[in-house]
Amino acid sequence: MTTTDTDTTAETPLAPRVTEEELARQARRKELTSRWFWRILSYVAVLAVWEFALLDIFGFLRGTPLDPKLLPGPSEVVATFFEIWGEGTMPAAFQATLTRIAIGFGLSFLIGAMIGILMQSKWFEGFFKDAVLISLSAPGLIWVLITAIIFGNRPLGPTIAIILTTFALVTVNVSEGIRALPKDLIDMAKSFQVSVFKRNRQIVIPHLAPYLFTGLRFGFSIAWKVTVLTEVFSSSEGIGFEMRISAVLFDMSEFLTWILAFFFFALFLEKVVLEAIERRYFRWRQAVTAT
Amino acid sequence: MAEIRIKNLHKEFGVGADKVVALEDVNLEITGHSFVSIVGPSGCGKSTLLNILTGIETPTNGTVEITSDGHVAAPGYVFQAARLLPWRTVTDNLMFVQDDRSDDTKERCQRYLEMVQLGDKGDKFPGELSGGMQQRVGIARAFSIEPDVLFMDEPFSHLDAITARALRRELHHMWDETKKMVVFVTHDVGEAVELSNRILVFAKGGRLEDDIQIDLPFPRDPADDEVAVAKAHVLRKFEELDLLAS
Ligand SMILES: Nc1ncnc2c1ncn2[C@@H]1O[C@H](COP(=O)(O)OP(=O)(O)OP(=O)(O)O)[C@@H](O)[C@H]1O
Ligand SMILES: [Mg+2]
Repeated sequence: MTTTDTDTTAETPLAPRVTEEELARQARRKELTSRWFWRILSYVAVLAVWEFALLDIFGFLRGTPLDPKLLPGPSEVVATFFEIWGEGTMPAAFQATLTRIAIGFGLSFLIGAMIGILMQSKWFEGFFKDAVLISLSAPGLIWVLITAIIFGNRPLGPTIAIILTTFALVTVNVSEGIRALPKDLIDMAKSFQVSVFKRNRQIVIPHLAPYLFTGLRFGFSIAWKVTVLTEVFSSSEGIGFEMRISAVLFDMSEFLTWILAFFFFALFLEKVVLEAIERRYFRWRQAVTAT
Repeated sequence: MAEIRIKNLHKEFGVGADKVVALEDVNLEITGHSFVSIVGPSGCGKSTLLNILTGIETPTNGTVEITSDGHVAAPGYVFQAARLLPWRTVTDNLMFVQDDRSDDTKERCQRYLEMVQLGDKGDKFPGELSGGMQQRVGIARAFSIEPDVLFMDEPFSHLDAITARALRRELHHMWDETKKMVVFVTHDVGEAVELSNRILVFAKGGRLEDDIQIDLPFPRDPADDEVAVAKAHVLRKFEELDLLAS
């Protein structure tokens, strides 16, 4: 051991004592801050490029300035946003779209879960296997077009398109969850003569919940896009319909406004609603990963 | 008083080439205030026997009966691994196996948590506890229903020596006080001799090879001559059987 080593060890008692927990908290806070910094920076960068640079670069490349009608800047879009908001069409459009999603995805979730349960039998597995695979791999646009052609603007079209594009996600997750049922815990409950009802409520359902939640989350993100697409092709209300109208009227500012509203709403659902549910109901999982 | 009666018990797993005989023609009676240890090499059917006695597995052949004063006995089971519900707190894991949620019951659960030195961990999730702590929650859970028969499958093998010793003493104390029956599986012959008044030796293939009474007074000191002799006797038996099996 060198003299410098002994010096440092002699100095440590003088340094302020920081507990390990405090250090871990500081590290987490730092990590969180820098993650948010980069995240916000990406928004700022995109907006800046959009507002100032893009038009000129396009204009420069093409030799003529880009018509601001083709790509209005963000400030103009924000102004349009408040204009449309003032007219009161936005809540109505969202309501129409969300109702469609709720009905379509609600049904899809039930059907998907049911098929997932049935697929525990090997005959039903054989029966549904390829259908699930096709639903998982085929682009949603196909179903949107087919149902638009068959059903026109009747409400059954989007419902069926949503079911066909999302049921398999639920099926796959439910079926995986059932296969991983914790037999050791169920046996434990049996040996303590815990009733079947209580066993299902406290073992089977909490075990399946994260699988259902994953199905819900992925399924919803697709249902959302498919619904808007169906509205673009065949509908007389909803966000997709409003987008089509602005596109037909060649009102880019309005078109972008709808996209922006759509984007923020999706972000809100994902970041606020779903993550809150996750934090509330899956606290024990954080406990598991923490150790 | 609890009674266990096992007649011509036979248990197989799998069929054809995969067939495993876990227990073969076991006949056994355990009555009253016994502390019975089951020892034997790995894979000789010890856990399987407890699983059958607690109703988790069913026998391939033969019958088992566990009664207490004429009615079906309530078993408590401490497993080889803790088997806690990861999504329930420690307290809720104990409450899960109770028949009611009365204040008395809650208080009793708390008391047994304190017995295993985890009185302040009731609000934690199992994932926040060490392996040894989780095992102790499993022990408290089995105690908390105050069972007629307590089945324990190597309950102390994952614990540090000092905790294991304290819990062994606590277990023995409870056994003495409540006059309940304990059926205790262990690899550790010393532990078996220290705790039990009867040792069942199982051999590979699930045969019950020997049934040894140990009528020494409790508490037993491993350094005591008579205890050492008893231990040597069981060890010899154990070694013979292991040699026979291989
Ligand atoms: N569910 C099961 N399916 C198939 N085989 C099993 C099953 N449970 C136990 N066995 C087999 O039965 C035999 C006895 O197993 P058991 O778990 O009772 O042994 P054990 O005496 O408890 O061993 P250990 O001391 O290692 O815990 C082993 O050969 C095991 O592979
Ligand atoms: Mg075992």
